[in-house]
Amino acid sequence: MTTNKIEIKDLTVNYIENKRSFNALHDVSFGVGRGEFVSVVGASGCGKSTLLSVLEGLYAPAGGSVQIDGKELHGTGTERGVVFQHYSLFPWMTTKKNIEFGIKQSRRGIKRGEREKIADEFLRKVGLAEFGGKYPSQLSGGMQQRAAIARALAMNTEILLMDEPFSAIDPKNRIILQELLLKLWEGDGTEERKTVVFVTHDIDEAILLSDKIVVLTAHPGTVNEVVNVPFERPRNRADLVKTDEYGKFRSRILSLLNNDVAERIGGDEVVL
Amino acid sequence: MTTKKRYLRVTHLLFIVLLLIQLIPDKSTNPTFTGALIAFAAGLELIAFIASTFIKKEQGLALLLDIVGFIYVLLGVWSLATAKFNVLNPLLFPAPGEVIHQFAEDKQQILINIGSSLGTTLAGFLIAVAVAVPLGLFIGWSARIGSAATYITKFFSSIPPIVYIPYGIALLPTFKSVSVFVIFLATFWPVFAGTMSGVLGVDKRIIDSAKVLNVSKPEMLFSVILPASLQQIFLGCNQGLSVSFILLTSAEMIGARDGMGYYVKYYSDFGDYTRTITGLLVIGIVVIAVTFLFNKLQSHLLRWKR
Repeated sequence: MTTNKIEIKDLTVNYIENKRSFNALHDVSFGVGRGEFVSVVGASGCGKSTLLSVLEGLYAPAGGSVQIDGKELHGTGTERGVVFQHYSLFPWMTTKKNIEFGIKQSRRGIKRGEREKIADEFLRKVGLAEFGGKYPSQLSGGMQQRAAIARALAMNTEILLMDEPFSAIDPKNRIILQELLLKLWEGDGTEERKTVVFVTHDIDEAILLSDKIVVLTAHPGTVNEVVNVPFERPRNRADLVKTDEYGKFRSRILSLLNNDVAERIGGDEVVL
Repeated sequence: MTTKKRYLRVTHLLFIVLLLIQLIPDKSTNPTFTGALIAFAAGLELIAFIASTFIKKEQGLALLLDIVGFIYVLLGVWSLATAKFNVLNPLLFPAPGEVIHQFAEDKQQILINIGSSLGTTLAGFLIAVAVAVPLGLFIGWSARIGSAATYITKFFSSIPPIVYIPYGIALLPTFKSVSVFVIFLATFWPVFAGTMSGVLGVDKRIIDSAKVLNVSKPEMLFSVILPASLQQIFLGCNQGLSVSFILLTSAEMIGARDGMGYYVKYYSDFGDYTRTITGLLVIGIVVIAVTFLFNKLQSHLLRWKR
């Protein structure tokens, strides 16, 4: 237990909206191992994005603790890279400049020429080699997220926090991006994998990518169950979705999510 | 663009009409300098042809040719109303040829006056921008003061800057410094207000994005907040710039020894309306040129916007 990279314990977060305080997260506890890919799923409003804001250091919890490498988390930090759903990139910088800016922030002391080389390398890795000189507004939503991933990876942080990065992308491109992320994260086995916390409402996305899925229930957000994903790596979507195990596992996660919805709407008469 | 589309334009027809008008014998007894007018129009026509050959974008070329065409129409109507049929009072309204001739005569003097006016405007404007932008960024970013500052700014920017002139004259040694001071005030408040509203309006997601990158405070202000509020800053600058020109020419008409406002005022006092009209037109052209260059700068710096 003590070897976890991220340790979340009894985390409680209150949100203030229109002068009323909401209990967004209540006694949330789970751990993320070093090099582990953990997805947090839940219906909208369950506090999954709030949870990530706390990990990003943008929002202070009301109670409980978050530890990284055994040290209490305070504010933002250079050991964490973030990909948001929108505006991960600055619209006034070209794609390449955005990546260089990220490298400059997380890896102080790297010379300009070296930064440019790293930026080019990661642009190539996400398939944007030709688009370094373009502004974000000139790229499609999917390409913007590729660039955001390239920046997060180029920053070479130990932890990667991703807040519904593919939710605003059309289904076809979403699948392409998921596979790209899977390939980049799994790597060729020579490098240590990054620790990832990935927030999504897409169950298939969570199963394909994760080692472990944290299912949250809403009002207030609590952990319903933490489920280990039993599928071998490296994974391949086409092979994976064909298996019976996949279907069964998917139903299980779905029922964990829907339990909660059924309870809230009013009992077992509701058919989903 | 086809060659036909490139060179066969209404503008060139208007040029020919303008030349035909010049064949009508003068009714005015004053010298009308028709030659100067024809030389000027021919110069414009030459520019139009060179532009037709070199400008690639159809829209840009159409705009330029429309403007040139408009000038031809203006010159045509103007010469009909003055030199050709003497409809307007010849003392108050010189023929177009006279004005063009006068401009050529006074070229040196006019250029010096333009330089003086522009120097004063730019000095006041640039000092104001250099002070207002960093201050607006800083105060806007400290959001609590920001809300009070909005009202204070509203109060000061609602005072017409021309009322500061008496204080300027009482406090400052030279007319130049008074002009710079008044233009500074006229520009400072709109730019300051624009910067602050820009900062307060920056998308929270952009700020979060910068925070998780651990940017330092100066980087946050100048690498993130500044570009994110640039459009609003430019709104303030545009407002400041147009007020500056109005103020400066009015101020120069009151007490200056040089500048375009002085040129117009000085010669109208002697009833020299040829020079008065020349001055008016030159002021218009200079203001348009400066605004054009400023807009170019703006669209270059905001090229990342769609």
